[in-house]
Amino acid sequence: MSWSSLFEFSQAEWIAIRLSLKVAIWAVGTSLPLGVLVALVLARGRFWGRELLDVCVHLPLILPPVVTGYVLLVLLGKNGPLGRLLWNTLGFTFAFRWTGAALASAVVAFPLMVRAIRLSIEAVDRRLEDAAGTLGASPLWVFVTVTLPLILPGILAGAILAFARGLGEFGATITFVSNIPGETQTLPTAIYTFTQSPGGDAGALRLTLVSILISSVALFLSEFVARRVARRVVGL
Amino acid sequence: MKMRSRMCRLQFWMKQGCLIGLVIAIAFGVFERPVVGQSRDVLVFAAASLKDALDDITAQYQRDTGKHVRVSLAASPTLAKQIENGAPADIFISADLDWMDYLAKRNLIKPGTRRNLLGNKLVLIAPKDGPAQVKIQPGFPLANMLAGGKLSMADVATVPCGKYGKAALEKLGVWQSVAGQVVQAENVRAALALVARKEAPLGIVYQTDAAAESKVKVVGLFPEDTHPPIIYPTALTAESSNPDATAFLSYIGSPKAKLLFEKQGFTVFRQ
Repeated sequence: MSWSSLFEFSQAEWIAIRLSLKVAIWAVGTSLPLGVLVALVLARGRFWGRELLDVCVHLPLILPPVVTGYVLLVLLGKNGPLGRLLWNTLGFTFAFRWTGAALASAVVAFPLMVRAIRLSIEAVDRRLEDAAGTLGASPLWVFVTVTLPLILPGILAGAILAFARGLGEFGATITFVSNIPGETQTLPTAIYTFTQSPGGDAGALRLTLVSILISSVALFLSEFVARRVARRVVGL
Repeated sequence: MKMRSRMCRLQFWMKQGCLIGLVIAIAFGVFERPVVGQSRDVLVFAAASLKDALDDITAQYQRDTGKHVRVSLAASPTLAKQIENGAPADIFISADLDWMDYLAKRNLIKPGTRRNLLGNKLVLIAPKDGPAQVKIQPGFPLANMLAGGKLSMADVATVPCGKYGKAALEKLGVWQSVAGQVVQAENVRAALALVARKEAPLGIVYQTDAAAESKVKVVGLFPEDTHPPIIYPTALTAESSNPDATAFLSYIGSPKAKLLFEKQGFTVFRQ
């Protein structure tokens, strides 16, 4: 295997890389508002059932991913209760579509996102918020102008962490939406297919290297952006 | 001083803006191949052993008609279950009749479109530098040939190649002697890959798979009467609404496709 041929990506590999990025971006983009909300509720809220919510949010983190994928399939597959409802009312289905892959990634990455954001919310000095309140700002305005900028580094870190986790999701994806090239064949499932095919080792190696590269860049970026934004917000 | 800090802020946010723009572009599939009009590509769910043949046929189909066909390859039971769960396949090609019957019973295929497409043979394989040829007959020394190593087969309970293989070994009276040493792979190509990587000294796959992989060689051919006939049926799925699907199904049965299947070693049934 010559060095130059090692870096010739086949069509299928490019499709898997683009699809993986698209799925991960949508997963993080759509779950971020909910993630901030849930993190706020868990950090500041005092209500019956808070511990239960905490456990539910963290379940995908500790359950085997295949279980998460299976639960999604049972609920949201074409024959599942929620899936049938969606299909009959909106003509929309997650089953075996890239949107299902995005959902699986989002569900699995959600606990990581919430944890990171919650940590930064708990680190906010409440007196700053109280001060803004006494100066006449409504709670919403306090949140937007005081809390949100302060927790921005945490939100970014959580988002990028969730992105990297979502990019690498395998068990839930392959169980819920399987492995259809061009639709649901993400990087991990493509690598899996290559390892199972004779002569697929070169492709598996290439995609593995791409995986490592993307994850490293994501982590590096996460640290860098969080620090830059923190500097600007806190004025260090 | 104030002007400079405003410039710095502007540059900072412009850089973030570029990054955000790139992210949005990827999210909305700007870099992907554009989908022409309303029609989606035909999606074929085919047994794993059809990989090379379908690669050739879809490439030829694209040259002939300009249309792109997507193929999802996996073990027949996996594909059948996915179709049952609502996977948007247009065409299903199974490696045995049982899995096509499974879908037919659940009214998931268009009965008028079902027909038997291909035949195949079952072989015993070994890595290129493995043992010499052996005659496969009742009581042949399979366990001795394994010498403590693993026999690589597709899942013997559900995957066609595994089922054919187990049936053959039972008919030949050697299944009991090797049952404990069988490694069951997810599909026939995975079983092939294990032998190609020398992880298993012997394996049971289709003759067409052995021919497609240069790192393995055939050491024995299972006589046709030791297992049920290997038949690949094909049909349109009940849910399929793609007008191009029927065209591609006919193309698979055409003389051009017949040549490409026979090139891999499949027997093509008369239409």
